[in-house]
Amino acid sequence: MCDTCGCGADSTTFRKHGEDHHHHGDGHHHTHDHSHDHSHDRTLTVEQDILGENNLLAQHNRGYFEAKSIFAINLVSSPGSGKTTLLEKTLATLKNEIPSAVIEGDQQTMNDADRIAKTGIPVLQINTGNGCHLDAEMIHTAYGELKLEDNSTLFIENVGNLVCPALFDLGEDKRVVVISVTEGEDKPLKYPTMFDAADICIINKIDLLPYVQFDVEKCKEYALQVNHHLEFFEVSATTGEGMSGWYGWLKEMSKK
Amino acid sequence: MHEMSIAMNIVNIACKEAEKDGASSISNIELDVGKLSGIMIDSLQFCYDSVCKGTLAEDSTLSINELTALAKCKQCNDSFEIDAFMALCPNCESYEIEILQGRELKLRAVSVN
Repeated sequence: MCDTCGCGADSTTFRKHGEDHHHHGDGHHHTHDHSHDHSHDRTLTVEQDILGENNLLAQHNRGYFEAKSIFAINLVSSPGSGKTTLLEKTLATLKNEIPSAVIEGDQQTMNDADRIAKTGIPVLQINTGNGCHLDAEMIHTAYGELKLEDNSTLFIENVGNLVCPALFDLGEDKRVVVISVTEGEDKPLKYPTMFDAADICIINKIDLLPYVQFDVEKCKEYALQVNHHLEFFEVSATTGEGMSGWYGWLKEMSKK
Repeated sequence: MHEMSIAMNIVNIACKEAEKDGASSISNIELDVGKLSGIMIDSLQFCYDSVCKGTLAEDSTLSINELTALAKCKQCNDSFEIDAFMALCPNCESYEIEILQGRELKLRAVSVN
């Protein structure tokens, strides 16, 4: 398993659209074979952040993105909130304005990468196997494969999971949490760690509001109670309603 | 189930420190875990026991110092203890709070012999 995250990373694969073979990230092993003669019980002070290795790699990724003026976004949500559709629409609309690339994270299948590839945008699929989240090392390997352009935007679609990805910094500039109106409006209260760690909240599938019991204002109020810095976009990726605000934000951020 | 990843990181860090010191085994690992760290302690303990097998930390115990969460109100500057990310200032009832403590996830010390 991977030294950084441990969650089944020995089965993590990286594949570009159209590739049949896959490959694994490099593992690193360090051994310390020096020994001292200590026979008494003692306590070693460590004082280390348990996620320190991931955080260090995330900072490395952040430095790389900054050096190449790449704007990186980490998209997180529960499964089925419409992240991939949101990305498809966004990329198809903005592809002549914002040079982009996509890293897709799922436990299995190339399905999402195949969908993104149809927009003509470079995409790499990470299959985490049993893993429940992407980590900074996976992103490091993935952007090495993708060969990102300077001044581009990198969209990272995390594994659909509203719990685990919250703890793993990937080195992104902004974290975007997506919630759809077919979920409960109290999701921000039920999964506060994820909403606390996000910068932007997209409320998706608003075209379905007449058919479901979802109070948008209540959802926003709950989310703001958890994180009062959150900015919202209410959209329907399917009909295009509300998407112009999101596009405007992306265009502005990608210029920075 | 990110507790498995976390447990592996803990054992990796502790084993590296123990090896550096030339220790023959680890008897206890001490952690600071904040109330808002996103970790389920029971689940972490369960994963820890299985991750330790075959390492210097086999048969070791895990001591967890649970840290309470503390926040400061951005409106009235009052400081207080909280139970969740969503919390009201007890003084002025504002939700605009800054979390001062509670997100910690730290390996504090390793006992070896």
